[in-house]
Amino acid sequence: MSVQTPAPATAGTRPESDPEGRGASRRRRPGPAQVATALFLLLLLAGSLTTEGFYSLSNMTAIANAAAVVGIIAVGATAIVLGGHLFSLSIGTTVAVCAMFFLHVLRFGMVPALALTLLFGAALLGVQGWLVGRFGANPIIVTIGAGALQEGAATWISGGTSVYPPPDAPDFSWLASPLLGVPFPVYVFVVVTVVGEVVLRRTVFGRQLILMGESPQAARSAALPTSRLTVTAFVCAGLTAAVAGVLLGAFNQSGTLTTTGTLTYDSIAAILVGGAAVTGGRGSVLRTAVGALVLAALADMLLLRGYSTPVQLLALGVIVVAVILLNHLTSHDKETR
Amino acid sequence: MSTTPRLEVRGVSKTYGAVTALDRVALDVRPGEVHALLGHNGAGKSTMVKVLAGVVRPDAGTVLVDGEEVAPRNPRQARAAGIALVDQELSLVGSLTVEENLALGAPRGSVPDAARLRDVLDRLGLAHVGLRAPVARLTLGEQQLVEIARALSRDARVLILDEPTATLSDAEIAMVFTAVRGMAAEGRSVIYVSHRLGEVLELCQRATVFRDGRAVGTRDVAELDRDSIVEMMLGHVPAGTERPARADDGAAPALRVTGLSVPPRLAGLDLEVRPGEIVGLAGQIGCGASEVLRALAGLEPEAEGRVEVAGRTLRPGRPLRSAAGGVRYTTADRKSDGLFLGHSIARNIVATRLPGCGTAGVLRPAAERRQLAALLELTGIPAARRRLPVGSLSGGNQQKVLVARSLQLEPCHLLLLDEPTRGVDVGGRADIHALVRRAADAGAAVVFASTELDEVLELSDTVVTMFGGRVVARHPRAGLSAARVLADTTHGAPGAAPTPREAVTVA
Repeated sequence: MSVQTPAPATAGTRPESDPEGRGASRRRRPGPAQVATALFLLLLLAGSLTTEGFYSLSNMTAIANAAAVVGIIAVGATAIVLGGHLFSLSIGTTVAVCAMFFLHVLRFGMVPALALTLLFGAALLGVQGWLVGRFGANPIIVTIGAGALQEGAATWISGGTSVYPPPDAPDFSWLASPLLGVPFPVYVFVVVTVVGEVVLRRTVFGRQLILMGESPQAARSAALPTSRLTVTAFVCAGLTAAVAGVLLGAFNQSGTLTTTGTLTYDSIAAILVGGAAVTGGRGSVLRTAVGALVLAALADMLLLRGYSTPVQLLALGVIVVAVILLNHLTSHDKETR
Repeated sequence: MSTTPRLEVRGVSKTYGAVTALDRVALDVRPGEVHALLGHNGAGKSTMVKVLAGVVRPDAGTVLVDGEEVAPRNPRQARAAGIALVDQELSLVGSLTVEENLALGAPRGSVPDAARLRDVLDRLGLAHVGLRAPVARLTLGEQQLVEIARALSRDARVLILDEPTATLSDAEIAMVFTAVRGMAAEGRSVIYVSHRLGEVLELCQRATVFRDGRAVGTRDVAELDRDSIVEMMLGHVPAGTERPARADDGAAPALRVTGLSVPPRLAGLDLEVRPGEIVGLAGQIGCGASEVLRALAGLEPEAEGRVEVAGRTLRPGRPLRSAAGGVRYTTADRKSDGLFLGHSIARNIVATRLPGCGTAGVLRPAAERRQLAALLELTGIPAARRRLPVGSLSGGNQQKVLVARSLQLEPCHLLLLDEPTRGVDVGGRADIHALVRRAADAGAAVVFASTELDEVLELSDTVVTMFGGRVVARHPRAGLSAARVLADTTHGAPGAAPTPREAVTVA
C-alpha cells in the first residue's frame, strides 16, 4: 500500500471540495508516466508551431466549433462511464433522432420545442439506464439494442425521409450562427462543460456516482441509491445528446439518421483521451472536454498539413490509441492497490 | 527418534510489522499420519499453513521434508517439494471439466494421463464422476474431493487440508473423511486444519495446538477430549471489560427477527435485541452469522422470514429501505465491498452521509467539512491525512474509517458489524469497541458477528452462538466462559455430533 498518485491524474484526484488541505502532503516526483505525458504535450506544441496557420484566430474558432458537438455529447456520456456502466453505443443515433424530433416539434414554438427535445432525449436514455441500473442489464447490449430500436422507429415514423422544419417554424438560425464571431455551439459547449463539472464535483449525485463507479459492491453495502444513480447518469447523457441534436438539426436545417456519422465513437474517444477509467470511478467532465478539443486540434493540424483523408484518419487513430494507452499506464495504481 | 519425520518444522518465525504471527514454531508430522492443527483465530495456524505452502516466507527457521531442507518461495516450489495445499476456498473453474481442472496449474509437460487421473478419482470415492463432467455440476463435497484429487495427482507427500468441511453436508464430510483415511493408509501425511473438534477427534492421530503464534504442544489425540483441547487453545482467559448492564430491560425490542433463513446457509433464526444492547453472534466461518447481518441489511434477496426494526417491517433484498429504516451495516470484507479503495480517506468517511451534507442535492462544503472533522476526531485519524488514499492507512485505521461510516447517522436503530476488528491490532480494536459501545449507549441496538472468541466476550452483552447455519444457544455475557462459547461453536451443542440442530428459540 503505497502513496502514489502524483501529478498525472490531476483532475481525477484533486477535486476534493475541501480547500484547506490542497496540496498538503503530496509527493512530487516525475515518473515515466509524467515524462511521457510531457513528451506528448511537447510533440503537440511542436506540431502546432510548425503548422502554418494553426495559431490563427479563425483556425482556433474552427477547432472549437469542430469540438463543440462531440464535446457536448461526451460531457454527458462521461456520467455513464464514471458510474461504471461503460458506454452508450447508440448515443449518435439518439442525437440524430433528437435532431429529427426537434425539427418536427418546432411547430409548437421555440421554447416548447427545446423543452420537449430535452425531455425526449432524457427519456430515451433514462429507460436504458433503468434497465441497466434496476435489472443489472449489460449496458453494451442495452444501448446497442436501444440504438436499433431508435433507428427502426425513426425510419418507420419518418417514412425514411429527412425531417424538415415546418414552414411556419420560428427562426432558429441563431442556433447555428456565430455570436460575436464565435459559433453558437461553442458557447453551449462551454456552458454544458461548466454545468457538468459542477454537477459532478459539487452535488450529492456526482459524488455518489463516482463512488459507485469505483466499487459497485461497496456502494451497495453502503446503501447508496445505485439504481437511481444509474438512471440519473443515463439521463445526463440523454440531455446532452438532445442538446447536440438541437444544434445539429439547426445547423443542417434537416434531420436524418445518416447525418450523425461517427459521433458515438468520437465521443467515446474524447472521454478516453480525457483519461476517464473505462471501469468507472475516475475521470472528469473538464478533462473529457479537453479530450474533445485535443482530438479536434489534431484533426485540424493534420488537415492543415495537407494529409489526405485516409492518412488523417490513420494518424488520428494511432494517436488516440497511444494517448489512451498512456492514460491507462499512468493510472493502473488503482487496480493494483 | 526411530524414523525421520515426513515433515519437520524447526524454529519458524514470522512477524508482520509489530504483530508476531509465528514465534519459533516447531512441529513434526509422521508418514501416514493425519495431524491436526488447532487454535482459534489469529493463533498462527493459517500463517503456518501458508509458510508450508510457500505463500508466505518465514523470517527465520527451516522446513524439512523427509529430512531434506526445503525453502519454498512460492506454491510451485512447495508442490515440487511434495507439499500440496487444499485451500478452504475452492479454486476450481466451474465451466471446465474435471479433467481440465485437474490439469490446471500443473507444471508444463507433466500433466498426468487420463488413466492415472481416473485412478486418483476412484480412490477418492469419485468413481461415479466422469473426467469430462463439468465441475459446476458436482456437489460442493465432490468439488472439495476434486481439489484433493488435484493435489494427489501431483504425488504430494504432504497434503494440507484447510477447513475442508466448513461448507459441506454430513454425507459429503463422510466422503472427505474416507478419502483422508485412504491417503494416510498409502503412507501420505495429511495436515488437517479445522475448528471442528469432533472431526479432529474422529480423524486425526495427533494434534498440535497453536496459541498466540506459538505451538503450545503436540499430543496424541487418544489422550485428548474436547475439554482438554479447549483448555489448550485458550490458555488463560483474558479478563473482559464488563459494560454495566443497561437499566431499560423492559424497553420494546429495536430488532425483532422471526424465522430468518437464507437458504442454504442460514435456517430459522429468531432474535430480539433491545435498544442499547450489544449482541454478539459467535461462530466459525460458515456458521451463518454473516448471512444474518447481510439479510438484515437488505443485501440477501433470497432471505425469508420476518424482520422488524423499530416497529417497521423490512423486506429482504432492499438495502435502501433497510438504511432508511435506520439499519447501518458494516461489511466483514473492507477490500471487496467495504471501502472505495481508490479514493481518499475523506471521500470514504463521508460516503454514507452525502445527502446530509447538501441542500437540494448540492453539497455544502462547510457542512461536509463539519461532518468530516467530527468523524476524523471520532476515529482519531489525523486530519492532515484526510486526503491520502484510504488504502494507505493501516488495517486498523481502514477498519475505523469503515465503522465510522455507519456511526452518527440519523436514524440509527440497528448497527450491524461483521467482524468489526478483522486484521486490526490490539489498540485499534479497543478503539473500535469503544466506538461501538458509544453507539449502543446512544440507543442503537447492535448486532455483530465475530469468529474471535476474545472479541465476542469483550464486546457483547448477550452472546448468541451459531453452528452450521443455526443458533446453538443464547447466553447472557455475565458468567459466560470462553470454553462454553468455543464448545458451542465448534461442535454444535455439548456432546453433540457436528450436525445442524433444531434452532434454539431465543428470547
